[in-house]
Amino acid sequence: MNEKRIIGNRIVIPIGPQHPSLKEPGCFTITLEGEKVVHAVIGVGYNHRGLEKACESRSFIQTLYLIERVCGICSHTHSTAFCQGIEELSGITVPRRAAYIRVIIAELERLHSHLLWLGVAAHEIGFDTLFMYSWRDREKVLDILAEACGNRVNYGINTVGGVRRDLDDNVIQGISKMADSLENQLKYYLDLVMIDTTLSARLSGIGKLSREDAMKFGAVGPVARAAGISYDIRTIEPYGAYGEIPVKVITDDHADVFGRTVVRIREMLESLEILRFCIKNIPDGGIAVKAPRRIPAGEVISRTEAPRGENIHYIRSNGTDILDRVRVRAPTEANWHGMKHMLEGQYLADVPITIAAIDPCYSCADRAIVINSGNKTEVMDWQRLRQYSIEWYKKRGVDMASVKMPESKAYF
Amino acid sequence: MVSALVKIFIFPGFVFMAAYSMFLEYLDRKIYARLQNRIGPPWYQPLADFLKLLGKETIIPADANRMMFQVLPIASLAAVATSFIYIPVFGRNAVAYFEGDVVVVLYLLTVPTMSLFLAGWYSRGIYSTIGSVRTLTQMFAYEVPLFMALLAPGLIAKTWSVSGMAEFYSRHPLYILINVPAFAVALIAGQGKLERAPFDSPEAETEIVSGALVEYSGKLLALFRMSVDCELVLIASLISAIFLPFMTGNVILDFALYLIKTCAILVFFTIMRSVMARLRVDQMLAFYWRLLTPVAVVQMVINLLVRGNLRL
Amino acid sequence: MQDEQTSTVQAEQAIVEKICEKFGFLTGKVFVQRKKRILTQPLDKEEFEQLLHYAHDELGFYRASHVVGTDDGEDLGFIYLLVNEEGVILALKERAPKSNPQINSMTGVFPSLELHERELVDLFGADVRGLPEGPSFPLPDGWPKGNYPMRKDWKPEYFDRKTMTYNPPREDADKEAKSDE
Repeated sequence: MNEKRIIGNRIVIPIGPQHPSLKEPGCFTITLEGEKVVHAVIGVGYNHRGLEKACESRSFIQTLYLIERVCGICSHTHSTAFCQGIEELSGITVPRRAAYIRVIIAELERLHSHLLWLGVAAHEIGFDTLFMYSWRDREKVLDILAEACGNRVNYGINTVGGVRRDLDDNVIQGISKMADSLENQLKYYLDLVMIDTTLSARLSGIGKLSREDAMKFGAVGPVARAAGISYDIRTIEPYGAYGEIPVKVITDDHADVFGRTVVRIREMLESLEILRFCIKNIPDGGIAVKAPRRIPAGEVISRTEAPRGENIHYIRSNGTDILDRVRVRAPTEANWHGMKHMLEGQYLADVPITIAAIDPCYSCADRAIVINSGNKTEVMDWQRLRQYSIEWYKKRGVDMASVKMPESKAYF
Repeated sequence: MVSALVKIFIFPGFVFMAAYSMFLEYLDRKIYARLQNRIGPPWYQPLADFLKLLGKETIIPADANRMMFQVLPIASLAAVATSFIYIPVFGRNAVAYFEGDVVVVLYLLTVPTMSLFLAGWYSRGIYSTIGSVRTLTQMFAYEVPLFMALLAPGLIAKTWSVSGMAEFYSRHPLYILINVPAFAVALIAGQGKLERAPFDSPEAETEIVSGALVEYSGKLLALFRMSVDCELVLIASLISAIFLPFMTGNVILDFALYLIKTCAILVFFTIMRSVMARLRVDQMLAFYWRLLTPVAVVQMVINLLVRGNLRL
Repeated sequence: MQDEQTSTVQAEQAIVEKICEKFGFLTGKVFVQRKKRILTQPLDKEEFEQLLHYAHDELGFYRASHVVGTDDGEDLGFIYLLVNEEGVILALKERAPKSNPQINSMTGVFPSLELHERELVDLFGADVRGLPEGPSFPLPDGWPKGNYPMRKDWKPEYFDRKTMTYNPPREDADKEAKSDE
């Protein structure tokens, strides 16, 4: 293998598909001269499982649950975008309370996603203490999410026409308590990032993507905002209840990993403000309206602001209950393109943090699902998965076998 | 003869060093975990890890040089064990000592690092090659300040024997105050020597998997890990013998003091590792050459001046 | 209500008017769907490329967010989604027959389209001319040629993942199965 890998004074090293710095498979082939990266090739697609094809053979309600599993971290934003699209097609208006609940869950999701990112980024630069701290604080958010939705991730709270669960007073009090304690922690992290010398030595000037390049490569989310582009769907196209909620777009002009870190931490503080506004102003009323079984024919482009950036769903319906085409453009997909530009000319040591700084979500970008059952990993086809879930519920006293499924041929 | 062998192999020689290294590893991991809001491992974890590794299959890569691959961990451990003989642990003097043994200790200390470099190089893997080059780069960075810091106290004590230095400073404890900068340099350079954060780029997990040792497994890895742990004991003992040589004259009490001093040094190492991010190789080099080496040089100059005016 | 509707989409209307002014033949083919959404009818290759260049150079649509491939029966549809700084989406549609699914790569104008156009090649079998060299995306190495999973006539249940072959049932076998019933 060495003959191929070492050419003159250049070494070609593969980062991935399996590598400790990558939490999901992706292959970055890096050519090094000494410690400097001279060339980078980005290979993604390991997680592609044809989710969009699967959507074309299921009713839109089944598709909703499939879409929620596009990503493990930002599942709510995908299901929100999808529901919004269907609601727009069929002309439903979501009750105001439901819109507020969607915003609350979305902001909680942003908090937990950014805290997760902060931990991963700290780990990439060998600062494990910050990693442990931020993940400890993330638990507070996950506890609230579990109480509100019954699940730590993949909340399953969205449905076409509203939400499936109401937030009770316990949850609302829990949110305001969590917001207070988390705010102190976040301010501490912000100070830490600003003051600590080793952190700024590892973050400043790394993964530069200037405003012009960010526009050219179509970067979205914190990557674009750290380059000074004030692009946030929550203000550009206020969806759901965001029209009534004041949202401050956080930007920064460092245009490097340091800027992205600062933007993410400030965004979390902003999310806390939004949460406080929401729990103060959440209206009473119903949480869902009935959705029709068939959706009128038409096409719609729906977008939301995911924790990682702009998330676009293209939905086309042909008038039946099965959608003609669903195309999910996750934010990571938009951020890949600037990566090669960011990597080249840097030190090898900065490659992991540069990759991590866009908060890549490979599953999102490739649209995939992996099924883990116990310690053996296997791919179940649709029928077996259904059988498995029926048995799982039977053990717990619920008989799901009586629920009829429409004819849909299985695959993968 | 028998008592010499007991001293070399059992106490305060190899067996004690190995056992104490496991205790220090446990302490290191436990404090590190507590600082990070984790629970941390139970006290027997390092021993369990070691025994488990011994029972695992040893895989030697097809491309690797078999002989070197197997000999290097043993060489590394042997060098550490040999140099430990020259460090006073139990009683006023070390098991063996002669004028100039600190130089021998310092040179034996480079053997584990060189073994690590060669191990990475002969494994012929991509990550291990980069890791071993980084190991060597780091060695060039920390060696000069570390050596100067450890030799500088010898200028005042007019001896280059570890036991001699310990004896001198225990008789004249106030002179130790002159060596405070060297003490700081030795602690920081020692952290680099042990490849611990923030100077752990040679084994940066998230960049090059685990550097030079990435191809190692089973018994050979266990030996390497043990020699790294023993290096920790060695460095802590060396620093405590040279810079913290407070003695009471009572052998048992002195031994207790030795344990306290080495544990205190370890706690410092652990806190340092937990509050900083990993420096890049170029930043590490700049730090050692621009900051630590000048401080060590200044210390040398001061000690030479003091030595000139010294009347003892 | 109607007035409100028109006043909120003024900016979008202005863009449409500009396009129609420049390209008279597009009148009626470009329309405002709703706030922040401008759609076109499926266009010819030349019309499409002219409009895309114009949108990028003159109208400030600096970002191409992605391409949606669709299977429209006889044709393949390609929807290029462009975004300007105000967040207005301009969805340009292009169409090519399945018998000759040839389109030109737009990566020269928008470098960020590379992965999305590769996806069109892999999943829809589009023949994208001028795409830069690079690894295929997203299908694995060793995927059988001529299998385009996102086309409607490609049924996943006929694909054998172990041997990586696509085995559609023969038509007469279908009939036999029916007569058995």
